[in-house]
Amino acid sequence: MSIEVSGINKKYGDFIALEDINVSLPTGQLTALLGPSGGGKSTLLRIIAGLDTADSGSVEIEGVNATRLPPQKRNVGFVFQHYAVFKHMTVAKNVAFGLEIRKRPKAEVKAKVAELLELVHLSQFAHRLPSQLSGGQRQRLALARALAVEPSVLLLDEPFGALDAKVRKELRDWLRRLHDEVHVTTVFVTHDQEEAMEVADEIVVINNGRIEQIGTPDQLYDEPANDFVMGFLGDVTRLGNVRLRPHDIELALSPAVAPGTPPAFAGTIARSLRVGFEVRLTVDVEDQGETTQVVLSRTHARALELDAGTRVWLRPATGATSVPVLGVASA
Amino acid sequence: MADTSTIRGRKGPVTYVLRFSVIAYLSVLVVWPLYEVTARTFAPIEQGAEGGIAAFLERLQDPSVTYAFQLTATCAFWAVLINTVFGVGISLLLVRYKFPGRRVLSVLVDLPMSVSPVVVGLALVLAYSSGQGWFGGVLESAGIFIIGTTPGLIMATAFVSLPLVVREIVPVLEEIGIDAELAASSLGANGWQTFRRITLPSIKWAVVYGVVLSLARSLGEFGAVKIVSPGAEFRGETATILIQNRYTNYEEPTAYAAAFVLVLASVLALVVVSLIRKPDHQ
Repeated sequence: MSIEVSGINKKYGDFIALEDINVSLPTGQLTALLGPSGGGKSTLLRIIAGLDTADSGSVEIEGVNATRLPPQKRNVGFVFQHYAVFKHMTVAKNVAFGLEIRKRPKAEVKAKVAELLELVHLSQFAHRLPSQLSGGQRQRLALARALAVEPSVLLLDEPFGALDAKVRKELRDWLRRLHDEVHVTTVFVTHDQEEAMEVADEIVVINNGRIEQIGTPDQLYDEPANDFVMGFLGDVTRLGNVRLRPHDIELALSPAVAPGTPPAFAGTIARSLRVGFEVRLTVDVEDQGETTQVVLSRTHARALELDAGTRVWLRPATGATSVPVLGVASA
Repeated sequence: MADTSTIRGRKGPVTYVLRFSVIAYLSVLVVWPLYEVTARTFAPIEQGAEGGIAAFLERLQDPSVTYAFQLTATCAFWAVLINTVFGVGISLLLVRYKFPGRRVLSVLVDLPMSVSPVVVGLALVLAYSSGQGWFGGVLESAGIFIIGTTPGLIMATAFVSLPLVVREIVPVLEEIGIDAELAASSLGANGWQTFRRITLPSIKWAVVYGVVLSLARSLGEFGAVKIVSPGAEFRGETATILIQNRYTNYEEPTAYAAAFVLVLASVLALVVVSLIRKPDHQ
């Protein structure tokens, strides 16, 4: 295991930021800490990096107990949401910083900087100041700077949070490819479930200072441990006594009962909204307090000639992920 | 660079009235008196006597005048040096650390700005004079005399100009935040390396600005120094005390000459400051 976090507790005054966190992250894995803002995921990352201290518990990095080590002795690379580039240094100097601190020979530093700038596609900007770079370029610079010292773990705190949607998506793909090339154990914090599912090998869902579930993106999506995880990872709707994904509902124009299938719920389409290639239906299901959301492909919806007022029958698709409704709905 | 959002587009009569009153105000209060000092500096002492630059330089070459300026320069140099080191330290402490009494310290740092320098001088005498001072007795037995000597003058000057450095650095430190410093430490830099390579370059201009301001203030300090110094020729007579002594002793030309040098130093400091402000805001 590259990172072993055990029994971490952290309080800010009365506020419990983290409560009994235990997680182990294998070497070379790309892990996402996913959760809503204020859930404690950034705090956990900063505790791993040594930028924050836990009230109790321990952090082990590459088999070394790092709980009491200052950040500069942990050999971690840290990338901040707002880049934290050194404004008074050129791009090349920024990347060289960690190596110069380690007093590496000049030639080696130069070669390493050139290699890393190549890796993050910033070679032609080597002699510019960070203020002359765009947000995405600055974040790539911050990444190169963190990678320069060959850290045993790379920690990224909402690395794409300050970027606009398009750049964000590019950098996300790029991070995944970079990780496949460099293979450094990486942990990144995000509140964007799509980002986590797209990039990470494993996701740790953190909410209210506690770990809700740990698993691969597929596991979390298909077998959510609870209502919260299910709601956080994607859209959720209610049908009968279960909560499930809107696209996991089968829609038919007649109550036809095939042997072995559960009974269908009768309802009327209240609203139909087309967004790009999909159609989102709001269905008033008989004898059910809240409406049910159903998502179909546009082709499918057109074939069935669906519109507001159409009477339909709904049933969970075979193999659909569902969790029982518990008291008050949260999603 | 002017921030366009603070500039009004239209010029009305109010603009001209404001402009006129500001110019009039500055003229009456600053420009005219300073012009008088300058004019008197270069005026012939009496009918037929030589005026101009030669006479001015001759007055400055008087040994007691040279002594006074040397003393002022020494005091200003040490006071600024002490204030720079402590100013940077106190600023870091105030901005980067949370500790009990932080706000009290912050107010104390500002105190020399609001307390009259005369009171500062008096306080130093009470604390350090060899006869009655709280520490004076102990220091005296150790062979150290503060009051009436150059160290005392340096202390008085440093006391008065301390806030100038701190107040320049604190807002800059607050603005740059700690992310870059944390990044440096995660890259392996220890505290000193982080300070020297990341923090100091970021606050560089604020420090220089503070130094220039406190230098200007130190050169012109009078009240606190006057109380602490014996204030006699060749004995603790700084430039400002010299001006007063000569003025009251009917040696006005020398007083004007010394005053002119001080004015020149302040103007120079302001020019330096305004040159610094430009790169600072780009």
